[in-house]
Amino acid sequence: MTTTVRTTVLIAEDEPLMRERLEGLLQSCWPDADVVAVAENGNDAWDSFLEHTPQVVFLDIRMPGMTGLEVAQRIGNRAHVVFVTAYDQYAVHAFEAGAVDYLLKPLEQSRLELTVERLCQKLSAPPAALDAILKSLQAALPTPPREKLTWLKATVGKQIKLIDVNEVLFFQSDTKYTRVVLADYEALIRTPIKDLLSGLDEKQFWQIHRNAVVNVKAIAGAHRIDPERLQVTIKGSPESLVVSRAFTHLFRD
Amino acid sequence: MFKSIIQWHRDWETEILAVLADPSLIDTLPKGYRRTTAKHLMQLSAIERQQLREFALTYRGWKGYIALGKLLFLLNVVAVAVHLVFPAKFSLFEALAVTNALGLCSVGGFVGMWFNYRRMPAANLKSFLKVVVLATLGALVGASLSAFLDGRSVAEMMEKIGRTLLIAGLGVGSFYSIIYGAVSTWRNREYEMLTAKLQMQAEQERLDRQLSETRLRLLQAQIEPHFLFNTLGAVQQLAQTESPRAAELTANLITFLRASLGDMRTEQVTLQSELALIEAYLKVMKTRLANRLQFSLCLPPALADVRIPGMLVLTLVENAIKHGIEPALRGGTIDVVVTEQGTHCQIDVRDTGAGESLPTTLGVGLSNLKERVQLAYGTAGSFTLQTLEPSGMLATLRLPLASTHSVTP
Repeated sequence: MTTTVRTTVLIAEDEPLMRERLEGLLQSCWPDADVVAVAENGNDAWDSFLEHTPQVVFLDIRMPGMTGLEVAQRIGNRAHVVFVTAYDQYAVHAFEAGAVDYLLKPLEQSRLELTVERLCQKLSAPPAALDAILKSLQAALPTPPREKLTWLKATVGKQIKLIDVNEVLFFQSDTKYTRVVLADYEALIRTPIKDLLSGLDEKQFWQIHRNAVVNVKAIAGAHRIDPERLQVTIKGSPESLVVSRAFTHLFRD
Repeated sequence: MFKSIIQWHRDWETEILAVLADPSLIDTLPKGYRRTTAKHLMQLSAIERQQLREFALTYRGWKGYIALGKLLFLLNVVAVAVHLVFPAKFSLFEALAVTNALGLCSVGGFVGMWFNYRRMPAANLKSFLKVVVLATLGALVGASLSAFLDGRSVAEMMEKIGRTLLIAGLGVGSFYSIIYGAVSTWRNREYEMLTAKLQMQAEQERLDRQLSETRLRLLQAQIEPHFLFNTLGAVQQLAQTESPRAAELTANLITFLRASLGDMRTEQVTLQSELALIEAYLKVMKTRLANRLQFSLCLPPALADVRIPGMLVLTLVENAIKHGIEPALRGGTIDVVVTEQGTHCQIDVRDTGAGESLPTTLGVGLSNLKERVQLAYGTAGSFTLQTLEPSGMLATLRLPLASTHSVTP
């Protein structure tokens, strides 16, 4: 009996019929692939990536929330990325110059087969760094600047509070809600962490876990708890937070 | 000798005509009297130059000589007549000299004034005084000359006719000024009317050009490749799974494409057919976006036959999809509502999508739309955009029910 090597795949595409099509075609021309997650927008795509750490990610460029390019930037060289687009004249030039594969919609089986072939060859090596191609893609398809969050509206007891984002020590997922922890009190908001990310300044707020985002100014220190994970202690709070493997690079010198 | 004079005159004439047609040629002229003359001509306004050029063209070459000949003949006939009527006062020589001098000066002055009337009113008093002084001086010189010829003392002559001379000078000056003033005023009025007419023509041409440019832009590339390829992808998937929705989606796509590719973009359409087109478009989008899009359309039957420029409302709906629904994580609702508001009909396109702030500049689609509304209705039609709470946009078109313009941008 031979054991085949299974490849984990994430699909991010906002239109349900296009998702079905990509999934269906993949099943028929790449039987060794396991589609571990399907995301319908950029924020979900990033969240699913953190949850499943797939080896291959198919990213639609135009999606609600984070665009495919923004998700790819966060993924970096942690997965093999294939971009999917309906029509982006300028992007296609960038792809042709770079090392990243792309698919044009409507999808064609023969073209997908070629992509799968290329992926199978690349899988043994670490994924390519995307910095250069992302830079030229972002120049070709500029994303309008996102408005950053300055205030959060939260219910504390019976009161609606306006919270200055800068005063937040950290955000943490709590089943249905997100905890917003400040120095002297905490509040609950409905917006999940994955949807808060693109509104926060990446330099000031570090995501350290799928479930946690911390204000850099509030970090007192970090120490290793096992070979893969760290733990950070927070100034002005008795709590400590776990840094998952995907984010330990933030604390390296 | 005669030939070379003719040749010289011809060259100069050609040169002046060229400069009148294109003032920039002036720098190519050799320095000297020709250039100086040309520079004087350049002080004329563009219209004056054009008129002078037409005149010069009409009397070019032999025609000019013949006209001059006719004038001289006429003057000399008058001189002979003057001599015959007042044989005691004018010898034949005197009569010839006086009529020719007076006649040529007046005609020369008149031609100058005729083509340089713009500066006349401004220099009216000055030129009046000039004419008076010159006429008086001329009379004095003439009188002195005749006194000298008759062998009488100039002083005695002056004493005798000094006052008469002054009156004659003033009289002639006033006479000329009044005639020239009247003619130049009339020419100026004509000029202003001509300028106004030219300006109106230019404005009309500008409007026509704008209209055809807008039409051209509308006919070019309005179907987004993204829309087309994504929809075809959806058709492909439905066909693959043998879903009956494949046929429905294709039918809606066909309705949309037929209208978008044809002349409908530039024609007047009824609100009913515009909303039917929008329904086809929204059904296509609904198939693609599934539960991320809800929509409703509301058109009172009384307004079904109102005619508006084609694709106007569709542009707003496409915009609501593109900037409202597609970027929104959870999608949203689009409502198209037509209402009658007195003399106007109001079309509201409302979405609950991602829009939170107004765009700083309108995109191609909306600025095109604004231009079309303005071209079709002038100030009677309007287009506004406002944000909704907590998010979304409301685009409103107000169009007069009785269209005053027949153009269809």
